[in-house]
Amino acid sequence: MATLAAIVGSKVVFAENFPDELEPIGLETNQQDDGIPGKSNQLKILNSKPWNAETPPHLLDDEVTPSHLMFVRNNGIPPTEVDVQNWTLTIDGESVNKPITFGIKELMNDFDHHSYNLTLECGGNGRSEFNPPAKGNQWGLGAVACTKWTGVRLKDILNKVGIKDNAVYIGYYGADTHLTGDPDKVVISRGVPIKKALEDETLIAWAMNDKAIPAMNGYPLRLVIGGWPASVSGKWLTRISVRDKEHDGPKMGGHSYRVPKFPVPPGTKVPDDQMKIIESMPVKSIITYPKTGAVIPKGGTFEVRGNAWAGDLKVTKMEISIDFGVNWTKCELKDPINRLAWQRWSTKVKLPEFGYYEVWARATDEKGVAQPMVLPGWNPKGYLNNASHRIAVRQA
Amino acid sequence: MDDKSLIETAIRQAKKTINIGLMVMVFCLFWFVQNQFYPDLFQGNDNISQLDSLQNDFVEPPMFELDSASIENGIHIPTGLIVDDGVQDVMTTCGACHSLDLVTQNRATEEGWKEIIVWMQETQGLWDLGDREEIIITYLGKNYAPENTGRRKNLENVEWYNL
Ligand code: HEC
Repeated sequence: MATLAAIVGSKVVFAENFPDELEPIGLETNQQDDGIPGKSNQLKILNSKPWNAETPPHLLDDEVTPSHLMFVRNNGIPPTEVDVQNWTLTIDGESVNKPITFGIKELMNDFDHHSYNLTLECGGNGRSEFNPPAKGNQWGLGAVACTKWTGVRLKDILNKVGIKDNAVYIGYYGADTHLTGDPDKVVISRGVPIKKALEDETLIAWAMNDKAIPAMNGYPLRLVIGGWPASVSGKWLTRISVRDKEHDGPKMGGHSYRVPKFPVPPGTKVPDDQMKIIESMPVKSIITYPKTGAVIPKGGTFEVRGNAWAGDLKVTKMEISIDFGVNWTKCELKDPINRLAWQRWSTKVKLPEFGYYEVWARATDEKGVAQPMVLPGWNPKGYLNNASHRIAVRQA
Repeated sequence: MDDKSLIETAIRQAKKTINIGLMVMVFCLFWFVQNQFYPDLFQGNDNISQLDSLQNDFVEPPMFELDSASIENGIHIPTGLIVDDGVQDVMTTCGACHSLDLVTQNRATEEGWKEIIVWMQETQGLWDLGDREEIIITYLGKNYAPENTGRRKNLENVEWYNL
């Protein structure tokens, strides 16, 4: 508590409302020099300003991702001085009856609390495999996590504020600053159609894994929407606008978080008006154990396990292949802890003889849609790569 | 080309080489004298520079050192950039808002780099690069060009360990 008081310069009155302590992970001022505040130095840093870092897949070997291992995708500079006591969330826009501003304490006191484990995956996860290459951070497999979020439902707040029948979309605004330092320039402001916004699992959260949200993941308040590109989950949240049209904030238009309306050959120049907004993320899985490069003793059996998720849907089948996709073996697959949480899967593998093998993993969603073995539909900005994860193993 | 003009060219070349040699020698002599006898010749007067900064808010953009100590195998270690013509323009211009990681991670043709620059100008507050633009785009297109990686690469850089 001392740390936080030092940061905000005063006592935190409602700290007892937090599930655990209020110390935000990664706001310690003297930590800036060595690595990303609040994050493990095992994350792979893609960009040091703004911070962008991903988790090696073998470190995602938990049903609930530990906070220090959750990836970071910053578009701008996070707020450096956060005054939780005076932090506010304003609900406004064409489609509210009257704008209302809440303090965090009011949110905590006036609405029911809910917790959900939610899979957040960056829309550009897997971008590094695009050919021709797609611009932006070259994510491998690890811009994904499933953590436990606690807060209040956006729908309860919108109910209290009162929204009009013409509401079609919501858009968030946060307290991060643009890289140019221009205080008036909005870094990113995205959102979702009103239907998705009103789902039970759409939260205004103040806690992640029963602690304050890590500084780089949105402290002190974040909009969290599972199953869709993580960029719809606005960090350092200060405002939500209820719109009477598709939200038009920065990074809603152009090529940002959009893909061609129809399949195109790799490298095609696609005009803006032929692009559509990404909604649910596709079915995908990762192998979290063993780490790639395992040498198995002769005749040995080993466990292979990981996580699988499918955007708004559930994963209903999980398979692996050790012969480059000729034969597939079904794995044990657990139900998600709740809707929009990833699912644990596992199986036992015995390699037939001495030699080099690859373990390939393939998930299938409840609609029967499975992961492709190669990069799926090429798109200009490199989104939605859900190609099967492969690891290399050898029998000695 | 006839013999005469060949000879003329050779003489011109020789003169040029001698001139350059002379220039280098004069410079070395100057450098030696300054270092040995007047080591603080170029040191600013503290009082004057203080006055200066009072009157002038202009902050110089950070200029990266390009001394040979920070270059290994053709890479400028502090920024990760490939050392080639135009690298200093890229360092100062492209490192002003974000780290140069965003440059070294990406691959594009000259046309592609131009598009990235235009996108930043239209949406991210990047300024007109003027006559530097050509130098920057040539550098990027040459040193950070796309390779055809196929539909899927082999699993590379596997570190083997006993399970
Ligand atoms: C005025 C500020 C500014 C300058 C100067 C600047 N950029 Fe950027 N650039 C940005 C911003 C903002 C982004 C988006 C960062 C993000 O989303 O993480 C960006 C993103 C990029 C990207 C990724 C593109 C994408 O679609 O995500 C590349 C590549 C890039 N910059 C290259 C350059 C190069 C090359 C230069 C020098 C010519 C340069 N930048 C100079 C602001 C700038």
